[in-house]
Amino acid sequence: MKALTIKNIAQALSFMTIAIFATLISNPVYAQSQNVATAINVDQQLTIKGKVSDDKGPLLGVNIVLKGSKIGVITDENGEFTFPKSLSSGDILVFSYLGFEKQNIIIDAKTTYINLLMSSDLVEMMGAPNADKPYKSKRSN
Amino acid sequence: MHMRYLLLFIVAFQSHAQISDFDHIDFSKADQAALSCKNEGLNNMPMLVYNLTSHLDTDAERFRAIYMWVCHNIANDYTLYLRNKRKRNKYQNDSIKLKTWNDRFKKEVFRKLLKQERTLCTGYAYIVQELSKLANLNCEIVHGYGRTSMTDIDELDPPNHSWNAVKLDKKWYLCDPTWASGIPDPKTNIFKFEYNDGYFLSNTNLFIINHFPQDEKWTLMENEAYLFNDFLAAPILYGKAYTNLTEHNTPKQMHQSLHKNEIVRFIYQLKKIIDIESVHFLIDDGFTNKKVKPNSITIDNQSLQLEYQFNSNGFYDVHLYISDDLISTYTFSVK
Repeated sequence: MKALTIKNIAQALSFMTIAIFATLISNPVYAQSQNVATAINVDQQLTIKGKVSDDKGPLLGVNIVLKGSKIGVITDENGEFTFPKSLSSGDILVFSYLGFEKQNIIIDAKTTYINLLMSSDLVEMMGAPNADKPYKSKRSN
Repeated sequence: MHMRYLLLFIVAFQSHAQISDFDHIDFSKADQAALSCKNEGLNNMPMLVYNLTSHLDTDAERFRAIYMWVCHNIANDYTLYLRNKRKRNKYQNDSIKLKTWNDRFKKEVFRKLLKQERTLCTGYAYIVQELSKLANLNCEIVHGYGRTSMTDIDELDPPNHSWNAVKLDKKWYLCDPTWASGIPDPKTNIFKFEYNDGYFLSNTNLFIINHFPQDEKWTLMENEAYLFNDFLAAPILYGKAYTNLTEHNTPKQMHQSLHKNEIVRFIYQLKKIIDIESVHFLIDDGFTNKKVKPNSITIDNQSLQLEYQFNSNGFYDVHLYISDDLISTYTFSVK
């Protein structure tokens, strides 16, 4: 009984070894089939959602446009958006908002949600209006 | 061999960056695009840029459409300018307070730009830059000193003006959308749209006379040195100088001293054909303004040359006019 048990365990172990080995061998095959799945995904259309904020919170009214097209959307009061057109890997979304640095986001196969932090443009404000009033010298007389 | 000399000649005599480099381009399609987008606001900049530029063929036209739209739709807010000037002067030597002020003011400027389409120079330069970037154009803001008849020209104030540089066909050009858009009345603070085409891709030689950049690379004067002191000493140019001239050559300085009956020579390069009879001076001796003809006027090719003699002692403000267009001002101390 005891010997039998040991034999059984040995059999079970060798079976497991074979099973593990088989898994290891078949793994590359599995990985390959996954690659194929990704390749199919590239051609798939992606629905992109996201949220845009600055250091103080969500930004309302940020323009998001598919580069080179008229297709776009504006963020709502929660800074959120759903892009109206399904996108493909390689498409570029341009995020712009007056006073903030423009950002380009490249869509890849894994993109579904974009969480974007925009930073305000560093601009020194100044401005002299022009004048067409003739110059007049200051005279002491 | 000959070809090489020819190339050398072309490179050596390449003229200053200016609008005439684009004489082969008809900008009317771009101008029409700017006009048809008149009612579009800044709340959707990508759409605005698309509508302005998508049907245009060259970078020069695309930039033109953007620039024209800004010049015709953004108003200059004189009160913004005055408030900012006061604070900037006050905090000139306190960089922390200046930064705090600028951060607060910047937000207000952008809000005003978006909601009311009103701004000051940096706002103009900023919006031209942003719209250009959306059209894949290489455009930058240039900060510096703008000099007009109203700026305190004998004082070294902090920088007071912003304009743009744009790269077209591998060459940088300068333009001033603020001054091109119109003129605010200093008495009423009311801004009036009055487009001046002379500030679009202006000749860099003319532009430097009343635009001195903080970063000297933006003088775009490749081999010539033009120093801040040259700028401070230069004559005053008015908006109409830009519609009539491509260059202002002589006198290089605003304040001149000379003897009675000494001949003063003025040399300019003309942008267009003018009526020789329309050239005159308005001379202010402190009591009266007199319209005076130069002693001689010659136009050779595009070069306008004037000569004048003062025949009595005194101190004179001398304004050059071409018909009703005020071009420039000099002072003469005659002893």
